[in-house]
Amino acid sequence: MDVRAAKVVSSVGPVLLLALTLGTLRAQEANATLSGTVTDHAGHLLPGLKVSVKNLTSGQSTEIQTDSDGLYTVSNLAPGDYEISVTLAEGTKAQPVTLTAGASPKVDLVLDVVLPSTKVPAAGPTASPTETLPNAPSSTKTEPSLEDLGFPKAETQSNAAQQALLDKRTHMLKIHQRMGLITTIPLIATVITSLNIGGKSEGTASRDLHVALGSLTGDLYGITAWYAIRAPKIAGTETRGPIRFHKAMAWIHGPGMILTPILGAMAFEQKNNGEKVHGIAQAHGPVAIVTAGAFGAALLSVSLKF
Amino acid sequence: MKKTLALFPLLVLSNLFAADHQWVLKQSTLTYHVSHPLHQTEGVSHAARGKGICHDGQCDFLIAVPVKTFDSGDSNRDLHMIQVTRGAEYPMVTVRTHLPESASTSATVKADIEIQFAGQTAHYQQVAFELVTQGNETRITGTISITLTDFKIDPPSLLTMPVKNEIPVRVEMTWSPQ
Repeated sequence: MDVRAAKVVSSVGPVLLLALTLGTLRAQEANATLSGTVTDHAGHLLPGLKVSVKNLTSGQSTEIQTDSDGLYTVSNLAPGDYEISVTLAEGTKAQPVTLTAGASPKVDLVLDVVLPSTKVPAAGPTASPTETLPNAPSSTKTEPSLEDLGFPKAETQSNAAQQALLDKRTHMLKIHQRMGLITTIPLIATVITSLNIGGKSEGTASRDLHVALGSLTGDLYGITAWYAIRAPKIAGTETRGPIRFHKAMAWIHGPGMILTPILGAMAFEQKNNGEKVHGIAQAHGPVAIVTAGAFGAALLSVSLKF
Repeated sequence: MKKTLALFPLLVLSNLFAADHQWVLKQSTLTYHVSHPLHQTEGVSHAARGKGICHDGQCDFLIAVPVKTFDSGDSNRDLHMIQVTRGAEYPMVTVRTHLPESASTSATVKADIEIQFAGQTAHYQQVAFELVTQGNETRITGTISITLTDFKIDPPSLLTMPVKNEIPVRVEMTWSPQ
């Protein structure tokens, strides 16, 4: 750095630093603070509940817990549209709110459930919301609660991780399903083009088309299979119904989709050498038919009710 | 003193009338019906539990059933059902209703019910149920016409064709007083 540049930096630097500091301070002043209480339908204050404040523009969420008085406070929020929500096993209570610069609105959330006041002494143990709220005893003699029904806690508790796993599984199996349908098109075309290439056929054009379609089928099939194999497994699920047949068929068309192109390549080479297809390569046709049949049966088993 | 003694039986009687009674769900079959252009499907659960608490002739009922207990005969479809209804996040379906105790002696009853399912709450007015009382038990049957949009559920699809929005739920329950 030369002397002139150093002078410029030394004179402009403090000014820039001051401007940045003032800007940050101003931004902090302009930010809003959101607070309120969470109560049940009967007016009980609910401590220890997780409150989520989501910026609807950026999608960013802030989570805080209500204190021993059922109060929540979130500060330093940028102006904008937000959604405040509380989630219980019974459902979600959400409320939109628009924050302006420097505002400190109070937004009280009233849940649609009736729960006993779970306010606890400051020194006492605080139960987590999922442990306390869905299983809370009846608040009044005329309001039965979920706990009265005696369900095991594991059955009534929310499991976000399991939901995420199910979401991923469904997403992957949807792709599997669509890819399977798409694969059917070149598969059928491959079978149709095979009719012109057997016997004494000498032309190479139809053979090349058959090979191209077969290769496309194989590639698409590979993608289809990958999405089924890689879809998350859900522990404790016993496979029942038509899906069992669908999976059983995979043990036929899976190896068939590997074997068919290998045998096909052998047959292709023999034909190109002017030979009649012989040896194990003769099995290309029958293996391909069984493979295509198993693939079709797998598709129909989950599409139609027999 | 005499006046107080004379009023005593009346006080006892009125207390008895106002005392709490409870109903317990003994048996249940809940069946949802899904229509798809290619086939029809039903999912059945027998795992519902319920309780009714009556006070001053008015009863509050709560029936709950875990989402995962519905069996359509296909484990893959059931997992998709749990996913699409956010059954892991909101594992219970709860139904609340309020009825006069005298309704238990009627042949039919129309109830306003509140259903919490998939993180949403929906209210249904004047849902008709048939009641048959045999001995100590009351059997209630009826159909609740729910829709996927009531609970903000995206219709699942098969072969790119979505299921119908209407998912009627057939209810068969046997209650007994406790």
